[in-house]
Amino acid sequence: MEKIKENISHHRKSVFAGRGMPASTGEKCMSIFAYTVMGLFSLIAILPCLHVISKAISNGPDVTAGNIYFWPVGFQLETVFYVLTKTAFPTALKNSLIVTGFGTVISMITTITTAYPLSKPEFKGRKVITLLYVISMVFFGGMIPAYMVVRSLGLLDTYAACILPFAIVQFNMFIVKNYFESLPESIEESARVDGAGDLRILVSIVCPMSKPVIATVSLLYAINYWNNYFHAMMYTKSPNMNTLQVYLYNIISNSQDFVENLASGNFMINITSEGMVAAAVTLSLIPMIILYPFVSKFMIQGITIGSVKG
Amino acid sequence: MKKMKRRCSILLVLAMLAMCIYACGSKPESNNTDASSPATEKTEGTEKEAENTAPEEGETEKADVPALKGPGNVTLKRLGYNVAWDPTTDIMVDILKESTGYDMEYFILPAENADEKLVMEVSGGADYDIIQCSPNQFQTLMGQGALIPLNDLLEAYGPNILAGVSEESWRACSDEDGNIYGIPYKYPYAQEIASFMACRWDMMQEAGIEAMPTTIDEFYDCLVTLKDYYGDEYIIFSGPYRAPSEGNGTWIFPKVIASAFGIYNDWMVDENGKVYYMTEADGFADMVKFLTKCSNEGLLDPDWAVNTSTTVCEKFAGGKAIIAQMNRNGLGTTVPAMLETLNIDYDDLNYVNALKGPDGTCKYMRTEAINFVTVILRGSENAADAVNWIDLKQQNQLFLNIGVEGTHFNYDENDGSIVPINPIFSDERGNSYWYLDSTNEEEFATQWPARIRKSQAQWEGFEATTLYANEHMPEIFVDNDFAFKPATENYSKYNTALFSSMNDYILQIMAGTKTLDDLAAFQSDWAAAGGEDVREELQAWYSSFYN
Repeated sequence: MEKIKENISHHRKSVFAGRGMPASTGEKCMSIFAYTVMGLFSLIAILPCLHVISKAISNGPDVTAGNIYFWPVGFQLETVFYVLTKTAFPTALKNSLIVTGFGTVISMITTITTAYPLSKPEFKGRKVITLLYVISMVFFGGMIPAYMVVRSLGLLDTYAACILPFAIVQFNMFIVKNYFESLPESIEESARVDGAGDLRILVSIVCPMSKPVIATVSLLYAINYWNNYFHAMMYTKSPNMNTLQVYLYNIISNSQDFVENLASGNFMINITSEGMVAAAVTLSLIPMIILYPFVSKFMIQGITIGSVKG
Repeated sequence: MKKMKRRCSILLVLAMLAMCIYACGSKPESNNTDASSPATEKTEGTEKEAENTAPEEGETEKADVPALKGPGNVTLKRLGYNVAWDPTTDIMVDILKESTGYDMEYFILPAENADEKLVMEVSGGADYDIIQCSPNQFQTLMGQGALIPLNDLLEAYGPNILAGVSEESWRACSDEDGNIYGIPYKYPYAQEIASFMACRWDMMQEAGIEAMPTTIDEFYDCLVTLKDYYGDEYIIFSGPYRAPSEGNGTWIFPKVIASAFGIYNDWMVDENGKVYYMTEADGFADMVKFLTKCSNEGLLDPDWAVNTSTTVCEKFAGGKAIIAQMNRNGLGTTVPAMLETLNIDYDDLNYVNALKGPDGTCKYMRTEAINFVTVILRGSENAADAVNWIDLKQQNQLFLNIGVEGTHFNYDENDGSIVPINPIFSDERGNSYWYLDSTNEEEFATQWPARIRKSQAQWEGFEATTLYANEHMPEIFVDNDFAFKPATENYSKYNTALFSSMNDYILQIMAGTKTLDDLAAFQSDWAAAGGEDVREELQAWYSSFYN
């Protein structure tokens, strides 16, 4: 197996890096073509971001006049400071971080503790329980019953309302379950011989061995919580419970509300409706941009795990 | 063993299905109970309270009117429409607390799916005391029987509200038996030129134009003069000023142009009380011909079909367009930017008012309409205090919405109008509009312009169009025949699509892919697409409301 891997690795190096002998003209052309196409594709993703960031920090009058394309015209940070200090951005960010942080932890606990017993063939009734998860994955009761459940549990307008209804996503649970099933049974058996109980085996043996899938699924959960707009909007009603996505939607829909007062007597000319939206969007990107380098490899793993096991 | 498992599985699945059917089944009686039982309980409770509490002097003695708990004894919950700022932290929260004495909690509806969320919350037993809703939401809640009739409460605790709201506004929020189900907030300025055209007067003068056009012919001449002088260097006339979202019912032709052709609304009523659609108006064909002529001669923005308010603002603010369709908000956005970047001042700007037709007539619709309705749910345990809070606010209308003389505003020495003092006015009363429920309509009509005056850019446009029209040509304003119309089924279902199809038809004529000869075919399609159903509905409402 190791030899095969080495061969593949060596083959890749000779083709793409040309180590040891010069790359052929065809390979060079192919590389240039691939880089160009991929470069163009990445521009499709980068240019809108550049446009938004440029708007956030450009002079207000130029933003209004539509002079901003992909590079700032002038420079100001008044809009960014205004969004940070005079709007509910910090509260919304705090709410999103709380929901994402606690939500991911709770989801991982529920997912792992559900997936582990379901991965054991000797667990009686596992097929029925698995079937129940499959049914609930395919059929959804609908928004109104879900709302009624959240309301009757007294969760409305709390962080729990944004977390508990999504504490377990069946698809993620099946990914973890399948991963657990692929682990060698002999390691667990040896641990059991050494006197370890189920919980000990799960925490000390299975989880450390399942780091890749745990990291990937955590990431999937985190993205789910971070991006969740609809349920956060439905289950909360106090302005100070708005998550970042709800806040952004409000700002995009009603940014004129702020500018109406600011424009009076030409105060703070740099703060414009579009500039505010751009600044809010730019600021909301920052946590993800900071986090991404640390989790990008898990995202790629996630795609692989999902494709093979899911 | 296997058989056993299979049986268990089947039983379990059947049980789940039964649960699903039970859970999804409608149970209207329980909803009704939810909605009405608190009210019943409350009435019983308050009857007992009323027996125990001797009414003070001037207080109502009616046994079925809930007793007042009073400021300090209750915290009221108020739900309002979506705003981007946080209404729980605004300075108005403290000001209202000081003014009324009541502790309040404020909530907002979402920017999206507001109607759905409101209905869901109400049917789920929401505990709000006061809900400020749109006329459509009001109709929905009233239709569900979720609202409490307010007549007795208003009589007991809302004398200022009763006195301040006009008869017509009350009628818009009442049922056929005269039960008032909501407190209306009427748009404060009855005759406003809400949509007009802003112009670069400096460039117009440079092209040799000496006076602002007041008729449709003068306007056309003005466009031609500008085109001759500037050629393709500038966009001569940019528009339409429509919201970016689809199907929002905004016009693709300027209202101040339509006014010259006798068109002021999509649905109008003739002298005999007959409801007719814009495409059936005498001036419709002439208006479309005029726009097509302008388009063919290159006088209009080439992007006319795809422009939105944002792109029109960008073109005008960026100095690319000489004339642009605009509204007050647009001026507030564009003018400060133009003063900064184009090195012009207010004298270099001017405004085209509602234009008169070749025969000297002009029709512009009055802006009178119910904007919001404040309602109290059947479940509210604090209905009396809710009405009292609204009444207390209305008592202090000037202070709460405009501020203190000498601090937030001064009176104009010449005409006695209110001149706001910035920035304190914007800082401390800028968001007061959200906390409004009812107004003394007459007084508010004189107070409200201060809110426009806080922005010089907006005020200049308002003065040149609305105030000028009110003073010099008030005859142009015609009633909005459907200002007080509640939401109706066919109108809600079809009208937006009908309006969009008409806009598309006009754009197709302007683009040359269709002609006015297709009008008959358009009208038959339009009638089949719900046009006739809406007409019948509107006709029935109009006849019953005004006769």
